[in-house]
Amino acid sequence: MQAAETRLAWFLISPTAIIVFGLVLFPAIFSIWVSFHRVGLNNLNDVFHAPFVGLANYYKVFNDFAFKFQGMRSWGAAVTSIVYSFVATIITMIVGLIAALLLNRPFRGRGLSRATFLFPYVAPVVSVAFVWRWLLDPRPSGVLNDVLMRLNLIHLPIAYLATRGLALVLVIIFEAWRYFPFAMLMILARLQAIDSTLYEAADVDGANTWAKFWNITLPELHYVLGAIFLLRLMWTFNKFDDIFLLTGGGFGTNVLPVLTYQFSFRLFDFGRGAATAMILFLILVTFMAFYVFFVMRNVEEE
Amino acid sequence: MNGSKRNYIDHLAGWLNWSRFIFALTLTFFLTSILFPFYWMLASSFKSFAEIGERHPVYVPHALRWDAYGELFNPADPRFQDFGRNIINSLKVAVPTALIAVILAIFGAYAIARLHFKGKNLLLNSILIVYLFPGVLLIIPLFAMLAQIGAKVGFEVQDNLEVLILTYLAQTLPVALYMLTNYFRTIPDEIEQAGLIDGCSRFEVIWRITLPLAIPALVTVGIYTFMIAWNEFLYALVFLNSPNMFTMPIKINTIYNAPSPHPNVVMAASTIMTIPVVLLFLGMERFLEEGLTAGGVKG
Repeated sequence: MQAAETRLAWFLISPTAIIVFGLVLFPAIFSIWVSFHRVGLNNLNDVFHAPFVGLANYYKVFNDFAFKFQGMRSWGAAVTSIVYSFVATIITMIVGLIAALLLNRPFRGRGLSRATFLFPYVAPVVSVAFVWRWLLDPRPSGVLNDVLMRLNLIHLPIAYLATRGLALVLVIIFEAWRYFPFAMLMILARLQAIDSTLYEAADVDGANTWAKFWNITLPELHYVLGAIFLLRLMWTFNKFDDIFLLTGGGFGTNVLPVLTYQFSFRLFDFGRGAATAMILFLILVTFMAFYVFFVMRNVEEE
Repeated sequence: MNGSKRNYIDHLAGWLNWSRFIFALTLTFFLTSILFPFYWMLASSFKSFAEIGERHPVYVPHALRWDAYGELFNPADPRFQDFGRNIINSLKVAVPTALIAVILAIFGAYAIARLHFKGKNLLLNSILIVYLFPGVLLIIPLFAMLAQIGAKVGFEVQDNLEVLILTYLAQTLPVALYMLTNYFRTIPDEIEQAGLIDGCSRFEVIWRITLPLAIPALVTVGIYTFMIAWNEFLYALVFLNSPNMFTMPIKINTIYNAPSPHPNVVMAASTIMTIPVVLLFLGMERFLEEGLTAGGVKG
């Protein structure tokens, strides 16, 4: 009976397991191999006979101007990636928290607002990225340029996404705009589970809104905020589409995923691309270890 | 005494209004910054190329002009883009991905939620961890690997929508599995036990009892996987080469990067791509929100 059940279970789960491990886990391991070999377009179809080059790909990456840190004027993809992921994650969470607090109080039109708040998250990245580029158009006819010029805040149009520094800031704002709904939903779910007697007791004690937020709400959210932080950090760190579509990785916004793509599919140096991906992955594993250790451990085992 | 009480009430009223003012202001800020880009997408799609090129942006189009949509769909248009084909390609990828992901996830999730076997938690956890692997890490070896297999078995890796579906399955199955597992766990085991005792086979139990109860979850998972496949950019960019095989995101990227770009056409194509997901989402909002937080859909 027990054996039959085990057999049935493996039979049922095997298609999923084969697809996921075959198309994710195996390629991930294979990627290590590729990163130590010279793989280009010419031998892509015969990849197992690619010449072994040791750490050459890694040397190339570390010495690439697009990768290495060369002072404040040029951060390189590694530092940019880390700064971008951390700052974007924190801002996304703050915006998500504010949105959740807004929607946690009853008002007319709350359901509709809540649905609207989710639009940026469900809309296709290609559409929203191109609308943003169009709004930030460097010509005077760009919406942001027009508005700022009408308000006399600027006198000449700005090429927002083609200005070092500003481009990174805007990419981060775009991330916050697009991904705050995820944080908002998680926080909102937690907020609605907070025992209301805690607030009633605080009212009796004469606590003001700020004190209640600081002493009740935040501690209650502590765990969910940690989980959101790590998840968003990892996803932002992995993110390719957003920056690729907004700036193509130019003007101080080059991050490791975009650099991996450029090495692999612009220069067709797959070995170097894989080496970049491995560096990305090693940093990610550090984040992941935190995630497994702090978050997954707390998820109750049945 | 009376005066101080009155002061206190005045103060309280002032504070309440102040907080309400902040609230209204913040809400307005959120709603405008969310909705304006979508308004701008829609409004720009109904502008002519001349309006797009004016010195100042045209905030309210003078008339609904269909020029941009003509370029996308009208074969007689000199800049005809044949976008209909791209819509079909996107559907050809997203619908099978959603259907297959739901079916395979039903089997897998049922096994994990209901059956007892060794290594179950390890399996579920590894699938979830694997889900955190970045797409750019996988794309190079995946490409090389599929090229090898393709050369042996005899299929093309590039411009092959089936290959794309396969890679999308690998991306969506973990979350589908996770969401369905959680849902199956909420259905009491006793209902199934009763069915088994009544002499139904395991498959009859799944088919007649568990699945009908799980329909909301199945719909959610189906829509999610559909949306992931519909919106996906990186894999499609790498695996698709010829314009008549492009899915919508890649086509829109191509139109945007054309030597003489027509932003109104980009916005029209984006509108067409956005409307179905937003409508699907609004229609199914109740179900989907739960799924969003439970599954933590990767974004």
